[in-house]
Amino acid sequence: MKVMVVGLDCAAPVIMFDKLRDYLPNITKLTQEGIYGKLRSCDPPITIPAWMVMATGRSPGELGLYGFRSRVGNSYNQIKIPTSRDIKFDTVWEILGRRNKRSIIVAVPPTYPPKPIPGIMVSDFLTPDKEKEFTYPPGFKNEIMRDFPDYQFDVKFRKPEKEKIITEIHQMSDTRFKLVEKILKEKQWDFFFMVEIGIDRIHHAFWRYIDKDHHLYEDNPEMKDKFIAYFKMVDSHIGKIVDSMDDDTVLLIVSDHGAKGMSGAFAINQWLIREGYLVTQDEHVKQGASLDDLKVDWSRTKAWAWGGYYARIFLNVKGRESEGVIDPKDVKKELETLKQKLKEIKGPNGEHWNTIVFEPEEKYEIVNGDRSDLFVYLDDLNWRAAGTLGYESDYMFENDTGPDDAVHDYDGIYIMFRKNRKIGKNIDSSIFRVAPTILELYNVRKKYGIKGEPMEGIDYVR
Amino acid sequence: MAEEKKYTTVSIPTPLFEKIQTKIKDTGFTSVSDYVTFVLREILAHSNDKEAFSEEDEKKVKDRLKSLGYLD
Repeated sequence: MKVMVVGLDCAAPVIMFDKLRDYLPNITKLTQEGIYGKLRSCDPPITIPAWMVMATGRSPGELGLYGFRSRVGNSYNQIKIPTSRDIKFDTVWEILGRRNKRSIIVAVPPTYPPKPIPGIMVSDFLTPDKEKEFTYPPGFKNEIMRDFPDYQFDVKFRKPEKEKIITEIHQMSDTRFKLVEKILKEKQWDFFFMVEIGIDRIHHAFWRYIDKDHHLYEDNPEMKDKFIAYFKMVDSHIGKIVDSMDDDTVLLIVSDHGAKGMSGAFAINQWLIREGYLVTQDEHVKQGASLDDLKVDWSRTKAWAWGGYYARIFLNVKGRESEGVIDPKDVKKELETLKQKLKEIKGPNGEHWNTIVFEPEEKYEIVNGDRSDLFVYLDDLNWRAAGTLGYESDYMFENDTGPDDAVHDYDGIYIMFRKNRKIGKNIDSSIFRVAPTILELYNVRKKYGIKGEPMEGIDYVR
Repeated sequence: MAEEKKYTTVSIPTPLFEKIQTKIKDTGFTSVSDYVTFVLREILAHSNDKEAFSEEDEKKVKDRLKSLGYLD
């Protein structure tokens, strides 16, 4: 038995199983012959930590990973970007490696810098550039550079050049799939796990062209065609991957979270200023300024926030932060008051928002690393949080830091398929079941003792 | 007095040993141990034991994440 995992970052049920269904013959066939459904992501439903939840079966709390940045110590403005070295738990490929299984891992976040592995590792989109050692063994990089000199880890968004960006994303994903297909043909493996980040980038930058309900909807047939062409390209590569598989291989197509149209961005730090939680001494704040650009009066500040697809709010606690003001015995009370106020935030026209606020301890059994005091999903994730300031209104209908049409949604997708098994079931599942499923298929789940149960439909492919 | 060299034994599968033996015939390597030591040193020389990101690397990644809307 072999398992091949194809990760499609941000792939959403509404796109893959519904809107584009007729354009995706291979994926649609896999749903008809295999098992498919929604895959509930972790909290927060973000690329980092979600792929590592999938690879380890651990919660973001246990991993101590809550997003693309971690706070350094209890500092006000020092951050670090997670790397492979921040993953303190066994990944499925490490567990399998100890049982003489050879793995090939391509672009699973975060795997830079690549750790030694019995097999091949190509690091992810958080790799600084191609000058770095981004493969294990190191020599494999030369093969990539020889055969795919245009190989890209990620794209950079530049606002006015939308057509150029979509072409770049298309090429990036096409090249990564070609690399994977070449590896499948030439290398030996027992376990394969690849992630393609391009779908996430396409959703964020181009959602307005396919969603008539989006407030920025643009009827632009050319861009819509390019959006569809991108997915057709992904689908044709999945067809090739299926063709290369024997009937002793289980294919698992998964996404780390879903997507939905973004309603807007809410300037959370401006709101904290108005509510008296955050105090700055600047007379004039330039539009788009980050908190780091401002003179924050920490001695009078009770809380500040980080933006993103969800907001992280930190309290300024005496004895914890260098200029903390909240007495530790008042933290609970302050959190309750702030939670209530956050939940009462209304939309731009006074409409009710379903804002979800929680402390990490309410969500995770174990809380490691530098967590924020509160996690905030503005209007159930429909609004992203802008950490920047200097806007006339707290409500913005475009993103503060670049083009963005989509936010993350809780449900991603999965398809489980094995050749010559006609199953055809629709069963929803959870991201926490992915690692147990993989280990169960190699008969090592119980021996290793991973937490969590395999996917509900595993018996159909065994 | 020259510093004493310390060696230890690692096991490799016999077929692999024999394959290497054939491969290094008539080359500059005098033994399988020489060859294996050389290759392993080469691989380890590539490994990054320092910080995962240099300051410059981290800036590159942060700039990209900013452009993608992940950082304020």
